[in-house]
Amino acid sequence: MNTRAVLLASLALLLSPAAWAHVASNGFLVLQVHGQQLSGSIELAVRDVELAIGVDANRDGKVTWGELRAAEPQLMRYVAQHLSIGTPNSSCPIDFQSLQVNQRVDGNYAWLPFSAQCPQVVRQLNIRYSLMQDVDPSHRGLLTLVNGPVSQTGVLGGADAAALYSVDAPSRARAFVEYLQAGIWHIWSGIDHLLFLFSLLLPAVLLRNNARWEPVARARPAFLSILKVVTAFTLAHSITLSLAALDVVRLPSRLTESVIAASIVVAALNNIFPLVTENRARIAFAFGLLHGFGFASVLADMGLPHAARLICLLAFNLGIETGQLAVVLAVMPIVYALRTGVLYRRAIMPWGSAFIAAVALVWLVQRAFLPTG
Amino acid sequence: MRCKQVASLVREWLTGRTRLALLLLAITPLNAAWSAPGVPASDAQVLAELPVGARHASMPARELSRSRLDIALPLAQFYLARSRASGDLRYLGYAESVLQPWVRHVPVPPEVLVLEATILQSRHAFDAALQQLDLALQAQPDNSQAWLTRATVLRVQGRYAEALAACGHLAAQADAAITDLCHHGVAGLSGHLRPAYAATLALPQQGLASEARAWRYSELGEMAERLGDDAAAEHWFTEGLQLAPEDFYMRAACADLLLRHGRAAETLQLLADYGSMEPMLLRIVLAHRLLGDRQGEQSRALLSDAFDVEQQRGEAVHRREQARFLLDVEQQPSAALVAAQENWRVQREPDDALILLRTAQAAHRPDAAAPALLFLQQQGLEDVRLEPYQRPVS
Repeated sequence: MNTRAVLLASLALLLSPAAWAHVASNGFLVLQVHGQQLSGSIELAVRDVELAIGVDANRDGKVTWGELRAAEPQLMRYVAQHLSIGTPNSSCPIDFQSLQVNQRVDGNYAWLPFSAQCPQVVRQLNIRYSLMQDVDPSHRGLLTLVNGPVSQTGVLGGADAAALYSVDAPSRARAFVEYLQAGIWHIWSGIDHLLFLFSLLLPAVLLRNNARWEPVARARPAFLSILKVVTAFTLAHSITLSLAALDVVRLPSRLTESVIAASIVVAALNNIFPLVTENRARIAFAFGLLHGFGFASVLADMGLPHAARLICLLAFNLGIETGQLAVVLAVMPIVYALRTGVLYRRAIMPWGSAFIAAVALVWLVQRAFLPTG
Repeated sequence: MRCKQVASLVREWLTGRTRLALLLLAITPLNAAWSAPGVPASDAQVLAELPVGARHASMPARELSRSRLDIALPLAQFYLARSRASGDLRYLGYAESVLQPWVRHVPVPPEVLVLEATILQSRHAFDAALQQLDLALQAQPDNSQAWLTRATVLRVQGRYAEALAACGHLAAQADAAITDLCHHGVAGLSGHLRPAYAATLALPQQGLASEARAWRYSELGEMAERLGDDAAAEHWFTEGLQLAPEDFYMRAACADLLLRHGRAAETLQLLADYGSMEPMLLRIVLAHRLLGDRQGEQSRALLSDAFDVEQQRGEAVHRREQARFLLDVEQQPSAALVAAQENWRVQREPDDALILLRTAQAAHRPDAAAPALLFLQQQGLEDVRLEPYQRPVS
């Protein structure tokens, strides 16, 4: 098959929302417990919002973003009437933030983030959910209830509008282990951090001499060079991770994600057209600061339990370092063994770096310029 | 529009370096960048196109249907027809909401019970559907729609003797052709495949309503396939789909036939506009796998999400498809077997036996195949596709 045709077809899939699966009507309720505070979001399919409250103002059979936005106050009133959250003896009034749009497999969803304040620390949550029930009794609310590292799911709606969920505070030991695992997993699955690390590690077993790469003679300098790079990266991202997780500094995630992609492009290009060859630890430190914000957004998604914030932050950070160290220990002996070969200097190093730069460039374009939503 | 310009720029940039770009696309975790909520760039961006009957403007009619049965019945029927034609499960919910006030009436009008049963049947809640039909038939022993629905449900459950009896009750009221099709269809599954095929073939075409003609083609196609005459089966399915393009059971059956012969490109063509239905999406993914291209990847992810959501809702409408997905796409024979066993508890069509036998073999669990083998033997169900799994192990 013609590769060009294949590519165009897969791009078309990617850029057009045509390939949607028909599923029954679902709403998505996410609730995160932080002591007395709740934060979360409720999502309803745009099509369901139309059926429930009527947003297609010009009645052309299409709901535009302008029409949906115009109905925002109406939607908030509708949700407030049909969704209430409380502890067993008091309610937690919901405070909506502004409407956004989320793309799911079966179409666009109206996404309403909110916060709620309960009169006491939440141990049990009473959720009453009757959204859509009068117009589509088969509608269900799919609940994700997150309490620090522990999350549970549930189905809301149907015959019983009200449901009670207990929110047990996780033990400190359990929380520690969960966050440690989350940190390790984030490094292993978050390929962007690994690629950044690789582009710094690739030249670590080489020396720049008269505009040429030469293998280092002994293990010690290679080891020291890697140690410096990894330590600088770790130090830097730990600082910003802590600052962001403890709410001292906050950056928009689109910015940090874009700059992280840019950092990989720069680090990889530096291997092909070397500008900085001596103190790669400095690059590692400078960009490590940015990657820390990236880690923080993962942590923010998980939520930090109220009671054990510092412990969990520490565990998550330790997890990241453990995951990173495991990768370094696995990769370095291979790189060290290959360093003297022509293959390494002529192929792996330049082409590997070019590949990393190209991948990161695609991310950069996606994250910085393409619309989300 | 800004996003369109950017998109076309990206497209140009990528196509200029096709090979590299393909590689990049292959490893780019796209979801990370695409799944987050955001604010659309323009007020004019269309977020949803509303299908018929899904507008808020339909509320006055629904309101009226609460007090008037002569509005409630056709409205519910309309939603059911839309659901059947589009595969859109939301319409079942709309029909349910129209019937809800009438279900609480004492006594429930028999027409309402029959429509309720149709909804339950569409959700594969077969036993509950039969209960409603029994109530309807107590009140109206000659309700032909109730008897036909009852025959269909019993047939899917593999209760052929009872299904034949239900077809027999039809004879008094319905069109003779409908009664014959009902009868031959069940007879073809219970030990009389060849005579049933011949009898269905011999049914006069003239004077048949187009629905009945499409049904006849669908039965002929399935029987020919079970007899091993795939060329004839393809002919019948093609004829039938020309008559009833929205019959997606027949379309899925036709796709399976093509897939069995490795005709992936034709399968994709057949299903081109049907990717929004889970059973069709599964066949699209299988076709892409046959072609060995990566285009099915997005569909695979969609399908996997859809099955997860169904599971979380505690529903099992597409268990058969899920078992096949787990076996042929995800290659998890043990998980596939569990799904196929759950499916077998609910429904017993030849395809249900096939997936149970296949998953049991793949999972090296011959014991798990026993219920299906026993059923096939007791009912005398003939199907060449099942034969390789029916041979005694030597």
